[in-house]
Amino acid sequence: MWLAQYKDLIWILTISDLKVKYQSSYLGFAWSFLNPILMMIVLYLVFSSVFRITQENFALYLLIGLIAWRFFANGTMKAITSITERPGLVTKVAIPRQILVLSMTLSAFISSILEFIVLIPMLIILGAGLKWTIVFFPVVHAIYFLIVYGAGLILASLYVYYRDLNLIWDVILQAGFFLSPIVYPVSIIPDTYITFYLLNPITILMVTYRDFLLYGVIPSPVSLVLLMVTGAGICVVGTAVFKRLERRFAEVI
Amino acid sequence: MPEDTGIPDTTAVMVSDLSKHFRIPKERKNTTYDHLISLLHGKNTAYDEFWALKDVSFSVRKGETFGVIGPNGSGKSTLLKILAGVLFPDSGSAQVNGKIAPFLELGVGFQPDLTVKENIYLYGAIMGLSRREIDRRYDGILDFSELKRFESMRLKNLSSGMTVRLAFSTAIQTNPEILLVDEVLAVGDEEFQGKCSKKIEEIRREGRTIVFVSHDLDTVQQLCGRSLLLDHGEIRSLGNSEDVIRDYHAMLQGR
Repeated sequence: MWLAQYKDLIWILTISDLKVKYQSSYLGFAWSFLNPILMMIVLYLVFSSVFRITQENFALYLLIGLIAWRFFANGTMKAITSITERPGLVTKVAIPRQILVLSMTLSAFISSILEFIVLIPMLIILGAGLKWTIVFFPVVHAIYFLIVYGAGLILASLYVYYRDLNLIWDVILQAGFFLSPIVYPVSIIPDTYITFYLLNPITILMVTYRDFLLYGVIPSPVSLVLLMVTGAGICVVGTAVFKRLERRFAEVI
Repeated sequence: MPEDTGIPDTTAVMVSDLSKHFRIPKERKNTTYDHLISLLHGKNTAYDEFWALKDVSFSVRKGETFGVIGPNGSGKSTLLKILAGVLFPDSGSAQVNGKIAPFLELGVGFQPDLTVKENIYLYGAIMGLSRREIDRRYDGILDFSELKRFESMRLKNLSSGMTVRLAFSTAIQTNPEILLVDEVLAVGDEEFQGKCSKKIEEIRREGRTIVFVSHDLDTVQQLCGRSLLLDHGEIRSLGNSEDVIRDYHAMLQGR
């Protein structure tokens, strides 16, 4: 099994990516949580005073949504270039190439966990307090990882052939940001569209994170199962697409 | 990656009816935009087909040192890359029986900003070794590369010769059952080259399999019992190295 045989390589690639990320900027790790906090402040001002959204604990509501969303956005954006970034490892040596996608997803995953850890004091400072339901974090985040990794496999293998896919994906991400309940509550969606709206697995994830982090509500088993099925499904499809497309990677890169 | 299924125990490499062609697009289309534009213009995908390998079949016994020769562009490297599992065949199969060390290029994945030590672990991991396996071989690698003094130096501060020495030493320590060697024996200074040849000779005597691709006919004659001559992706001659090399000379003169 490639996962076991190459676990050290996966780890080395993940760690060295994190090192580069945190050493290259002056504030290093601080950026990865300053970014969502600054975003939260801006969005808070805009949406609470201009759009007059009155949501209980709106600052934390925003912050949780932003941090959760960042894993999807950063993870897929890192994964998309993971194959083409390391041409030597694709054309000169036969390693299972999904390792490259996996380690970039893992790097984003670890960053995301650190951001959630920074969220804990924020929960206390901003008056929501800690709920015991936070124990659901590992389960939900692991399922989320499957979704991001599966999507990463599809994107990375397509990107080898379509080198502007990252630009297209960037636009899709921006649309996704507003099509998911990050800056507004689900309740503002009109009844006519709500069924379609809830088809977006990211929506279910956002609701779930807020349930157990902010409201102390146990995630509903139905949504957990749905998310798990989605995650497994995306991984299976992603692996199939990747296996099919990797046959000509070494010729195209 | 070639799978090791259903080939006799005494065979290390079995290639049957292997063909590989490359599609060289007349117009390069790299982006979605390019693809859309060509759809709008109604131009169909125009490819030049180039057969790098055509119906190649041969097998290499375990413990054999097998040479592959031929002029530039005859398909040698393509063959090696398919055996290494980097390229995939279009038809036919290439099966490899045992752990393989592709020496297609040395130092793949080296990170200039990491130290010699860190690079040994990285390179070993790329070659499929676990941390513990590298721990055990670590001293051997440093000794062989003669880089003990530079252990904690960053790789970018080493000369290119030293870098290749480090790569060769690490790769050779992975204990492969089958070695794919693509003219990498020209490594470092003369003294180190001698050391490499001696190491290869040692591996050969231990009964491990080597597939050796080279332009250096003397070395092929000296090392390889049997050889294969490729020309335009097809087998021109296969058998005793002496005969194959004679055929090669004849072919070159015939041109």
